[in-house]
Amino acid sequence: MRAWINGIGWVTPAGFSQGRQSDSSPLQGGELQIPQRKQVFAQIDKRFGRLDDFSRVGLAAVAFCLRDADAEKWEEKRPIGVVAASRYGCLQTDIDYYQTLIPEDGKLASPNLFAYTLPNSFLGEAALRFGLTGNSMIINRHDSTRLESIKVGLEELAWSDQSGVLAGIVDLGPPPELMHGDHLPGGLFILLGREPGNAAPYGELEQVGEQLLFNGVEVTDLSQLITACLATNI
Amino acid sequence: MKKVFISKVACVTPLGSGPEALWEGLLDGRSGIAPLTRFSCENYISSIAACIKDLKVPAGGSLLDPLLERLAEQLGEVPRDARLIVASTKGEIDKLEVACRGVEMLPESVLFEPLLAKISGRFGLLDTGLNINAACTSSTVALARGAAMIAAGQTDCVLVYAADIVSEFVFSGFSALQALSGERCKPFDTARQGLNLGEAGVALLLMSEERAMRQKETPLATIAGWGSANDAHHVTAPARDGSGLILACRAALKKGGIGTEQIAAINAHGTATIYNDAMELTAFNALFADKLPPLHGVKGSLGHCLGAAGGVEVLVAGYALQQQIIPGTVGCEQPEEAGQGRVSSAPQAICGEYLLCTNSGFGGVNAALILQGGAR
Repeated sequence: MRAWINGIGWVTPAGFSQGRQSDSSPLQGGELQIPQRKQVFAQIDKRFGRLDDFSRVGLAAVAFCLRDADAEKWEEKRPIGVVAASRYGCLQTDIDYYQTLIPEDGKLASPNLFAYTLPNSFLGEAALRFGLTGNSMIINRHDSTRLESIKVGLEELAWSDQSGVLAGIVDLGPPPELMHGDHLPGGLFILLGREPGNAAPYGELEQVGEQLLFNGVEVTDLSQLITACLATNI
Repeated sequence: MKKVFISKVACVTPLGSGPEALWEGLLDGRSGIAPLTRFSCENYISSIAACIKDLKVPAGGSLLDPLLERLAEQLGEVPRDARLIVASTKGEIDKLEVACRGVEMLPESVLFEPLLAKISGRFGLLDTGLNINAACTSSTVALARGAAMIAAGQTDCVLVYAADIVSEFVFSGFSALQALSGERCKPFDTARQGLNLGEAGVALLLMSEERAMRQKETPLATIAGWGSANDAHHVTAPARDGSGLILACRAALKKGGIGTEQIAAINAHGTATIYNDAMELTAFNALFADKLPPLHGVKGSLGHCLGAAGGVEVLVAGYALQQQIIPGTVGCEQPEEAGQGRVSSAPQAICGEYLLCTNSGFGGVNAALILQGGAR
């Protein structure tokens, strides 16, 4: 299983950016700033203001990734999928929604918040904005390497007719009660393509058994993979 | 491509425990939709749902716990090397409700990792598992992924486990969205007003042909094709032209090398919302042109079981192929014009080898599976 890495984009405590405009790894802990519409899209976008924080982070990371790959603009819908790994998913939105439910025994339950209590809602936002008709899903699994969605994305490409898959991670900081172990708030996506994209690809990613090779060299976690990709900018 | 068998199944639904209870209940036209007593519905637009009888929350636990026990007892031994794919949209959402009401601290179990560990541990699996959240297509996508893994030779045994419960969290949300029907839902009926929520647990053990034969399994059916696609249209409303569902069905047909004329019947999503059912009929009529096969939906009996819906419906489809009959669509008395002569409240005889199962959901997702009978 192999694919080209055609784009990288992120929203992390390191900032909002994309691979070809950076040479340092964005995967770091710290406080995550939730993106505002004008930090992501130049055009007025009424829907963006209605999104929950989880969706804003995920959607913005997808947007930066497609921009990096010179694949943001589209005329016809494209068979590109999205696979996002998340540990906490939209838990904070669930809690916020529940706070609208409790005071009047459900009378004030917010339909807008409820629409974002499925973590895959932002994948729908990304699909309609960017014309992505591929398979889209959120995955949850214990994975300290943060490479699981990349592996699933490679398999999706190998086992279907999709032309590309956006694969990455999205998480907000966890609630204080669940704050233990390492956690990297933010979103980061890479665009895997069956073919090289409009922008020169970073390189080729291959899965051999459980091993993931970038340009023939093994990478063992997401940070290492992104660092290796960004090194090709030099 | 290696053949993928559904070699063992277990389910707990509002029609009872076990596939036979489900199948007989559906053929009899029974409905598990009843007044909801789990929480007060005073402020919601509906007060009915399809709940599993006698499902009680253990002290400090979740309703998913007894569901897991019942499914594990039914399914029996599962090979330790089976890979695990779980499909649940909200997991132990009842634990979050308790925490949000200040009864206890937010427990780790509101995350999916502990749920995966619990399921993996109960079945004694080596794999810690992966949860797939693709809204109401979750278990259909999970089955597609499991089938793809086996077909590609990555593994020869996958346990797909799907479960979601009726919670005030989800019920209130669908009520706020005005998506619930105050009376028993009417899939594909001209007078449909919305959906009823349901709950279910289902476990399906997938195996390669070689593994199933080696273990002397008697499979229910073969998964012959699968496909998924996004509408790229709206987050909560389906594309009216059914474009995403058509793409998913075409991908499934292509994967299996199957022509539309070979499809004997359709198990549709049929939520009984105005837009979903209209979208499905539009998509199926476009896909099958003037040769639409008989179709049915089970949500008039089971309610909408969210992430578990697709898994339960695939199980039903396996029985339908074996017995060459599809259950009636409970609640559909006056079918939409686009479904007339093809949807019925009575069971319909079918003739053929393949059955198409589809689901669609929030986020614009659509998924299709094609089952092939005759595996036994």
